[in-house]
Amino acid sequence: MARLGRLRLGRDRRRTLYALIAAVALFVVGELVHPGFAGLDSVEAILTIASFVGLVAAGQTFVVLIGGIDLSVPWVLNGAAILLVTLSLGEDGRALYALLLTLGMGAGIGLLNGVGVAFLDVPAVVITLAMNGIMEGLTLGLSGGLTCAACASYAPPIVQRAVHEPILGVPAELFLWLAVIVIVSFVLGRTRFGRHTYAIGNNARASYLAGVGVRFTTVLLYALSGLFSALAGILLVGFGGQASLGMGTPYLFQSIAAVVIGGVYILGGRGSYLGAAAGAASLTALVSVLLAMNMPDYGRSIIYGVVILVLLLLYGREEGEG
Amino acid sequence: MPPELAARRERRPFAAHLVSQNIGLLLVFALLAAAVILYCVFFWIRQQSLPGNFELTSTVNNTMPLAMAAIGQTIVVLTRGLDLSVGGIIDLTNALAAVHIQDNVGSMLGWTALVLLVGAALGLVNGLLVGVGRLQPIVVTLATLSIFQGLAIRVLPQPGGAIPPSYTAALVDPNNPWALLYLALCVLLWLAFRRSALGVAIFAIGNDEGAARANGIKVVQGKVIAYTLSGVFAAAGGLFLAATATAGDATSGNGFTLSSIVAVVLGGVNLFGGRGSAVGAIAGAFVTTMIVNILFFSEIDPLYQSFYEGLFLIIAVVAGAVIGRLLRRRR
Amino acid sequence: MTESGTTAGGGSPPAVAAVKLVKSFGGVQALKGASFAAAPGEVHALVGENGAGKSTLIKILGGRLRPDSGSVQLKGEAVELHGPAEAHRRGAWTVFQELTLLPWMTVAENLLLGDEPRGALGLIDRRKMSRDADAALARLGIRHIDPDALVEDISLAARQIVEIVRVVIREPAILLLDEPTSSLGEHEVAWLFDLIRDLRARQTCIVFTSHRWNEIASIADRITIFRNGAEVGTYRGIEEGEAITLMTGQRLDTLFPPVPPLAVAAPMLEAQGLAAFGIRDIGFTLRRGEILGVGGLTGHGHRELFLTLFGAQRAERGTILVGGQALGLRGPRDAIRAGLGIALVPEDRKTEGLLLPMTIRDNLTLAILKRISRLGVIEAGEEAERTRRLAEALQIKTPSLMQPAGSLSGGNQQKVLIGRWLLAESQILLLYDVTRGVDIATKHEIYELMMRLVGEGRAILFYSSDAEELAHLCHRVLVMREGRVAAELAAPNLSAEAIVAAAVRDSLAA
Repeated sequence: MARLGRLRLGRDRRRTLYALIAAVALFVVGELVHPGFAGLDSVEAILTIASFVGLVAAGQTFVVLIGGIDLSVPWVLNGAAILLVTLSLGEDGRALYALLLTLGMGAGIGLLNGVGVAFLDVPAVVITLAMNGIMEGLTLGLSGGLTCAACASYAPPIVQRAVHEPILGVPAELFLWLAVIVIVSFVLGRTRFGRHTYAIGNNARASYLAGVGVRFTTVLLYALSGLFSALAGILLVGFGGQASLGMGTPYLFQSIAAVVIGGVYILGGRGSYLGAAAGAASLTALVSVLLAMNMPDYGRSIIYGVVILVLLLLYGREEGEG
Repeated sequence: MPPELAARRERRPFAAHLVSQNIGLLLVFALLAAAVILYCVFFWIRQQSLPGNFELTSTVNNTMPLAMAAIGQTIVVLTRGLDLSVGGIIDLTNALAAVHIQDNVGSMLGWTALVLLVGAALGLVNGLLVGVGRLQPIVVTLATLSIFQGLAIRVLPQPGGAIPPSYTAALVDPNNPWALLYLALCVLLWLAFRRSALGVAIFAIGNDEGAARANGIKVVQGKVIAYTLSGVFAAAGGLFLAATATAGDATSGNGFTLSSIVAVVLGGVNLFGGRGSAVGAIAGAFVTTMIVNILFFSEIDPLYQSFYEGLFLIIAVVAGAVIGRLLRRRR
Repeated sequence: MTESGTTAGGGSPPAVAAVKLVKSFGGVQALKGASFAAAPGEVHALVGENGAGKSTLIKILGGRLRPDSGSVQLKGEAVELHGPAEAHRRGAWTVFQELTLLPWMTVAENLLLGDEPRGALGLIDRRKMSRDADAALARLGIRHIDPDALVEDISLAARQIVEIVRVVIREPAILLLDEPTSSLGEHEVAWLFDLIRDLRARQTCIVFTSHRWNEIASIADRITIFRNGAEVGTYRGIEEGEAITLMTGQRLDTLFPPVPPLAVAAPMLEAQGLAAFGIRDIGFTLRRGEILGVGGLTGHGHRELFLTLFGAQRAERGTILVGGQALGLRGPRDAIRAGLGIALVPEDRKTEGLLLPMTIRDNLTLAILKRISRLGVIEAGEEAERTRRLAEALQIKTPSLMQPAGSLSGGNQQKVLIGRWLLAESQILLLYDVTRGVDIATKHEIYELMMRLVGEGRAILFYSSDAEELAHLCHRVLVMREGRVAAELAAPNLSAEAIVAAAVRDSLAA
């Protein structure tokens, strides 16, 4: 058992390492298939795209760590994007106000999710799914299907610059993501809140009996997930300029895949955000490599799924006695 | 046993047990009844008449794919699992049907059988990964969803293909709700399933996997079969979808994953396993369709449709849990 | 009179035999070459302390576990069992201590699982199943269990009876029972023993484990005594004192450490008229330096009492006072922070106490994170230092505190759990069956620790399923029955027999 113990501790770090190695390996493969793939500009572009998945994956990591899941990502993200442009009307002057309200909306929806899970005993799958529908309806309804007067507005220039502006030659978005990685990893790894999160994910009952505020922490984690979905929506619309309908849909699957690939255990209690971030990078790199190879749509879907299964089997086998 | 012990516990009549142990089922039927009544009210307001055969037929036909998917999902959820690949299987089987079914009995029967077999095979993949591979259902079926969706697009890159009208008539007769017969058949199969060794095994696995194993139940086999059956029913759903749409679309099945979960939850099937009925899930599928119908006839802005669906789901689940808890506490 | 371990006497092949079984879990050897044999038509008791290996032995004989070495013989044949189903096929059925009933299925469904009556089309006839179950229960003299009730909804004692009936109606040639009477009252135990005598007359071999001496004496033909993972010997007719000496390897009077004398001291924890789910009208006073025992049959409210005192269950009526002050406990956090600090070492350390995949260090500091954090950030140095000192003081055997708690032996896990509350400096300790599944050496360490803790001014409320422990470690013992305090025992009336007698009495006699 002692030997297994040492293995176990390394396991989480090992999976993060695998995800990072996978990302690097994919860039190498990409370079072979399509010279220039691993060039600085290309890598920056790919990582920028990955950062949006990474941000949503941060929120997803928080809730998966306690054995939950957030299916409200698509329309919180989309709603946030539309809310930002319609509140700011493309002007910097209104940007702060729009940002605060939008982030507040995300956190608020997340809070409701958390309350449903922690206080009403509704399974996470159900409440977040329902909340996604509610956000979809509200967003479509209030914006008239994105036909309202303000809907075609652009994101405020300050937000666009926050995404695109190069700092030391690297797009600011990447620095933002790096900051998120550092902060989230620190919170999860070194704070009381982070320790409580892992404890709840491992055994909510035992945590409760040790005095951990299980309900409070749960609500907070879902609120954070909503916050990150909204943040991703804000930065995405800063990236693309305008909002569109359906922009959030791909991020649900990708955020869950990134989290799983990064070694976060779907039933909670184990894993790190660094792994999920590496997972986001690998996935995006994978898709880019496939695109560079001119692989058609369907091929990408299939390979995507196969890669995840292979990794799961690899991870699963290490688990030993499951 | 001395008399005091005998008097201590009162026996309740079989009927009382039937009621208290099937609360979820009763609730969803109450829900369905309420939805139907509400629908009739709104219909009357708009059309000055009550809904008739046409409305019944189209409601039934439109619900068939979801009902099938919900039955399959029920079996998996009973084992405390989840099948997110349902949408992908429907995509693929829908596409296969649209591409291959020709206007002759041989082709129709043959391809129907083949498509169901494909569904079984896809489900088997899930089952082996979850049962033998001991991987978590959510992530496995999420990955296979992606694979099946890809395969579907490969089979039918653009919406197209055609379903012969006679096939449509056989499955989802546009003039009369004969499709209800298929549902009746499914209900009979479900009742038989529940009274079979396999059914008992599936329920036992969801109750407590460890206890089931200690009782000699073959847990791995049970799980493999559960996911395989889910695949078969999802394939049936794909066939009904093709028949209703009369053409094929490799992405039209995507929404069924989450809808089947909603139907199952509304139907009183417990997501933690071991409790629930496919009959409830079928009713849940109808409730889902009725909500859409009600929203349509109540003249609510269709853009807000999802809002009401989401709100309804939360209220239904919370109310169901509260009622269930109150009833069980009273014993 | 001693007999050799592996013959069943009489020359005919034994119904069941264990030959030099060895089994280890992690670093701990539960069985070190244990052997015994029992004949058809014999009632054979396996006796030993908690941690002596009896449960592990039963699990191996029943096919639930596989031995590392050694062999099992069923009906005279050496067999390798790959699962319980194989044991069943050979006529060996087990009633395990952890019930294996399916909670959301009915009593009838559980009783007839795998052998349901079939009707038309080969489908299960549910009405007939209910009637058959009813008949089976009635044939065994049970009329008070409703076959159509969900297992989840019946009492623990009823569940234990269903578990027994389920096996008995399979007409086993060999019946293995692991602590079958832990939650059964006097009449139910009498029923069980009548049943066992019936089966014995029909040449069934019955093997059961227990640590209740008077029960064993009344029914067992032969007794095999276990200590530290191996058998000490098999006996026919042995005296209790001698048996206990053999079980523990010590004389009874040196087995338990001396209890520190109790001075008249301030009350630390009091309950007045306390009522909650599962308990009614509980009143007691726990003073500084006192070990107050709580005894009784499993399922009679001890768990609920401990949870209510800790705030993990809502008190419906009555008051809880800590250090003389009435408290409204809304949750464990309130109990932990309440003045003197209440701590609960819960029933099942694996599912309620420890976070097995997390490190020992994390488990130790879980309750004191606020104290070792600044602005929400945990001070790693402080954490490492405090845990190091504690692990040394408690002699927790591990190469590193960064190992997962799951890698520790049962005894060391229990120490970690207690250690968590020592770090929290809780003065009132609610210890729930802390020696269950703990090896004997560690058990004695825990006894010594308890004495040290009350010597330093703490107070302990101690529940144990072992009446001997209660009798020898506590100043007073409250015996609970049906959620109420049925008796309060103190010297000179405090003995294991008195505790058991008060526990199993069906009516609340004065």
